[in-house]
Amino acid sequence: MDFGFVELSAQDRALQQEIREFLAELFTPDVFALEHETGSGFNAKVYEALGARGWLYPSLPVEQGGAGFTALQNRIMELELDRQDARVMMMKGTSSLPMAAIRKYMPAEIADPILKECAAGRAVVCLGYSEPDGGSDIANAKVRAVQDGEMWAINGSKMWTTGAHISTYTFLITRTDPEAPKHKGITMFLVPLHSEGVTIQAIRTFSGERTNIVFYEDVQVHDSMRIGGVNNGWTVLHGPLDEEHSIGIDSNGGLTDVSVGVSFSRVLGASINEVAQWALKTASADGKSMAEDTRVLERLGSAMVDYEAGMCTPGPMGRVKSSDGLVKQAAQLQDLVGPVGLLPMNAEGGIGVGDIEYAHRFAQGTATYGGTVEVFRTIIAQHVLGLPKAQLPGAKVFMAGKKK
Amino acid sequence: MDLVELRRHDYALDEISQEVLVAFGDFFRDQCPSSLVRESQPVGFSQELWDRLVEMGTTTMGLPESVGGDGAGMVELALVAEEFGRAVAPVPYIEHVVTSRALARANNPALADVIAAAANGSRILALASAPVMPGTKQLIPAGAIARDVLAMVGDALVLYSADTPPAHVPNQGSTPLAWWDLFSLPNRTVVATGEEALAIYTRAHDERMVLTASALVGLTEYALGLTVEFTKTRETMGVLISTLQGVAFPLTDIATNIAGARNIARKAAWFLDFDPETRPELPAIALVYAAQTATQGTQQAAHLQGGLGFTVENDISLYFLRSKGWGSLAGDPTAHLAAIGKHVLSSVN
Ligand SMILES: Cc1cc2nc3c(=O)[nH]c(=O)nc-3n(C[C@H](O)[C@H](O)[C@H](O)COP(=O)(O)OP(=O)(O)OC[C@H]3O[C@@H](n4cnc5c(N)ncnc54)[C@H](O)[C@@H]3O)c2cc1C
Repeated sequence: MDFGFVELSAQDRALQQEIREFLAELFTPDVFALEHETGSGFNAKVYEALGARGWLYPSLPVEQGGAGFTALQNRIMELELDRQDARVMMMKGTSSLPMAAIRKYMPAEIADPILKECAAGRAVVCLGYSEPDGGSDIANAKVRAVQDGEMWAINGSKMWTTGAHISTYTFLITRTDPEAPKHKGITMFLVPLHSEGVTIQAIRTFSGERTNIVFYEDVQVHDSMRIGGVNNGWTVLHGPLDEEHSIGIDSNGGLTDVSVGVSFSRVLGASINEVAQWALKTASADGKSMAEDTRVLERLGSAMVDYEAGMCTPGPMGRVKSSDGLVKQAAQLQDLVGPVGLLPMNAEGGIGVGDIEYAHRFAQGTATYGGTVEVFRTIIAQHVLGLPKAQLPGAKVFMAGKKK
Repeated sequence: MDLVELRRHDYALDEISQEVLVAFGDFFRDQCPSSLVRESQPVGFSQELWDRLVEMGTTTMGLPESVGGDGAGMVELALVAEEFGRAVAPVPYIEHVVTSRALARANNPALADVIAAAANGSRILALASAPVMPGTKQLIPAGAIARDVLAMVGDALVLYSADTPPAHVPNQGSTPLAWWDLFSLPNRTVVATGEEALAIYTRAHDERMVLTASALVGLTEYALGLTVEFTKTRETMGVLISTLQGVAFPLTDIATNIAGARNIARKAAWFLDFDPETRPELPAIALVYAAQTATQGTQQAAHLQGGLGFTVENDISLYFLRSKGWGSLAGDPTAHLAAIGKHVLSSVN
């Protein structure tokens, strides 16, 4: 057990300082303004500047476009990026999941140049999993890929492909054998999004995050862009999916957060800080400081308990805890602050930088994307408690008859 | 507060800690079946189990080597507390350990005899939750079996002693509660005064919160296990009830809360051992979260066994009744919330 400060060597301390200064200069006000406006979770200038130094995926070896960082150096980088703004870095996190599959399953002569472009910050990969019919039943994908010689023709639509509008590729789940049981008829592709027949339309969410619906109309994809074997997509998918669900990740000597929900809890933490600062400089109706009001103290205390719980709950359980805690506490903090808590960033008389106003909107999405909290409870029931699986009629169906 | 500190989050137990966990897990499983818990009601004390626990070295492990102890830290004591809670053992482990540690911390020669008697288990110690006031009696946890109670009076920390403890008061958690009229007790020893007194008392109170949190984690986990097993064999309309999400999902929430509460309690124990100044609010967070976890967890665990979960005969009742019976001894969670809130305010300045 160890919760102490990490002792840094002189070299790592210097690196930390260098990173901090570099990022402070890189994250200019226009970066935040652009993110606020677009909600893309991406910034070309930032990604390319980081990529140029090998700092976008710094634990990759230098030959692969990284900086050969140790686990500790990588942790330093992550925390310094979080200190700036986690939102802009969202597509980095998204890309890293398919990058692992590309490295593992594609031949090096195809994979290496793609991965190098990603590491340089010039290419981004989005996740083409969910479809309009439903995202929870991920193996139920209906987007169809049909082979003709060296080429595959892709037809159908994907919903919620976040970042598609700024991505180079999508990591696409397709149906290649409609006769097989549904988990056995899936193939993964890396589809260039500039291909003919791809249409991308924006979907706006009330957190400000932009996502997309993507239509595929006779999109031609070369067989070399297949990831893993034909009809072997479920296996390929499981690496990234397990990672998203944080199954089997080790704590790396305490350098990795134990909860996958940490990024949600940090948003709660920022709100707690903002409300605490507000309380310290605000007087209540009777002229006393809000900081002495027991109502304020109890709510802040309660929010702090859920913040800590979100940070400390391990594995897939941490994802549920962080989301539930944020949803509950963001609403309560807004109640505590009253109408000014409803004012957005930069509004006249608003508090802080509008963190609590944002938190309440942001919180709702955390219960859904990356697998809903219900899907996670199902995983916990089976893998943590060992409860038997429910026999749902669609669990093992054949896809025949559902063809497009 | 700084949200991006470069600290480790390493919950892995070293070898010694793992051995402690296994040894005490085995001990309570063998020595404290639920039949013993039942036989020890309503007082909630088994002299026989206490004697065996003393033989295990439990009353000396947390004392400093200078008074003949083993110098174990809060992390190990918290692991013992988890196993103690899992068995809902009828022994005053928490009260006795935190109070005897407090006395040892005072470094006061007048206490040597009491500490020695506490170390060999012949004299049970307790800690008062509120300061001593004239004309006010206090319900003291473990007060029906303790001969000595440590309490703040004004700015002094005083050990009040009696030849025999007052009568037990039956209570929901079947714990050895008793009313003590501390103010009128003539037999008293000043343990410390001024800042030192407050520091020792605060520390003892923090230790009690952390150990109570750990005990509640073990308690809730055992209750969850009972219900998980039940749902794996109980059927309705031709399916196992555990396949219904209305049953399975609340169980996953209990498991989630337990996993988090365990980590927070262990982390709070670590901070008390190695860095007590930085996160002074952690013991209260640990207690509040574990108390919520236990209250909701045992309620749901009992409820998901239907009517059977409401019966005295079912062991789940022992756990449900002690979740509050133990949880509220360390203070009202809402009062702790305000203290945590105060700390939040001081940390943003
Ligand atoms: C902002 C945002 C970004 C996203 N980004 C991406 C992305 O980049 N790539 C991508 O592929 N997808 C993405 N998603 C999609 C996301 O993964 C899905 O929304 C999610 O998996 C749920 O699918 P659904 O919305 O179709 O709801 P459905 O699956 O139709 O579910 C509807 C409701 O039923 C519940 N439910 C469904 N099945 C079960 C079950 N077995 N047991 C209990 N309850 C159940 C769900 O929890 C939910 O509450 C994003 C979504 C959002 C909102």
